[in-house]
Amino acid sequence: MLLAVVQPWPEGKQPTDAALMERILQRDSGALEALYDRYGRPVYSLVLRISQHPSSAEEIVQDVFLQLWRSADRYQIARGPLEPWLFTMARNRALDFLRLKREKQRRREDTDSDILPAAVICPDPEGDIDRSRRAEKVRALMISLPDAQRRAIELAFFEGMSHSEIASAMGEALGTVKSWIRGGLLRLRESLGEASS
Amino acid sequence: MTCEHLAPFYEEYALGVLEGKERAELEEHLARACPKCTPGVAKARWLIVQLTLAAPEAHASAELKGRIMDAVKGSAGAAGPSRAVPSLKNQRPPVESSMFPAWAWVAAAALALITGYTIRQMNNQNAQLTQLRKQMKQATMQNQALENQLEMDHMVAMVMMSPDSMPLKLMPKDKAMPMVHAYLHPHMGVAITADQMPSMSAEHTLQLWFVPKSGKPMSVAIFHPDAAGQIALVAPVNMPRNEIAALAVTEEPAGGSPQPTTPVAWMAAVN
Repeated sequence: MLLAVVQPWPEGKQPTDAALMERILQRDSGALEALYDRYGRPVYSLVLRISQHPSSAEEIVQDVFLQLWRSADRYQIARGPLEPWLFTMARNRALDFLRLKREKQRRREDTDSDILPAAVICPDPEGDIDRSRRAEKVRALMISLPDAQRRAIELAFFEGMSHSEIASAMGEALGTVKSWIRGGLLRLRESLGEASS
Repeated sequence: MTCEHLAPFYEEYALGVLEGKERAELEEHLARACPKCTPGVAKARWLIVQLTLAAPEAHASAELKGRIMDAVKGSAGAAGPSRAVPSLKNQRPPVESSMFPAWAWVAAAALALITGYTIRQMNNQNAQLTQLRKQMKQATMQNQALENQLEMDHMVAMVMMSPDSMPLKLMPKDKAMPMVHAYLHPHMGVAITADQMPSMSAEHTLQLWFVPKSGKPMSVAIFHPDAAGQIALVAPVNMPRNEIAALAVTEEPAGGSPQPTTPVAWMAAVN
């Protein structure tokens, strides 16, 4: 087995996500700890919002970070930045849990698509606004939407429903739901800047 | 469908709400690594994942991090920074090959053959599994499209049978064209049905308009006849019935137009 030398971080410098993933490839558990410190809270918040169950949410988060540790060699920087990759993996896992709970669908197997979410292109990596500012903008937008429109988007993102499932759950016409969601996404794109268009 | 026609659906696809024909078409473009749709959807995924940040901020228990790190350190190969792994130059020199007896070389060769065979079998099984997954995905998509159509047919039937619906006949300007039926319901929407419609190219679409008593026409729905030449859809009513002077259908470029760009092809007055 090839063994590697793990160097300590340069003092006062925050390693990038890519550098931490490189360290994980060298089996540096400190790098995973650093990634947990960076992303553990938003990942847990997302998973709890979807699962609505604190102890299950913790299990899912643990599963996500262990998957990151085990599958680090399958993460490629060319597929996009780590943050959306990690959030997408967490959302997929939590939605699997939700579907299982509802007995609507058998849990998906550990396929590549589970481990490796599809490619994401960050619209403007250099000028990307920081996460806390993005969070402010997204929350402000969601609050500003009419209740029904916000509910439709939440059912889509946090409960994994399709257009017709949302229409059925809300007792609304399919066309109405489609226009709510399309309008909401348009405003989200505008809110996060033209960079994402 | 062309990439231009699919572009407005990238974000709905990334969100996971898109269904039916548009979803199937877009997945077909993605499956062949379409140079326009693939990056378009990848950008849309970034936008959608930002909705993560709309989740109310919550804090996991302090023990969670410890459990994750314990699991990681318990797994093979973990090396924390505090216990850096020694460099290769400090390792013992390799054992001389002459120390292995002949039977060990034979055993090693046999093991290599078995391993090679096993890997090949696994690759074959993986290929079969991938094929099965593809077929399952296709069947699921077809099933979803049928469910959508069934639901739409049910909605059309409900609007048609409601005593509150106003039946209308949209007469074609071209006598060779079939008549289009509309049922205008004040709350459930407007149901449109037709049979024996001619097929249309993907570059064009039919667009239904409410023509108000005063002001500009308002777009209600964009639709295509299906492969059997049938139309059955329900669109929301976005104008009070007493303000609607007529229903009209025009042929527009794919994706629809903000205002009619071609002469009216079907029309019915609303009394």
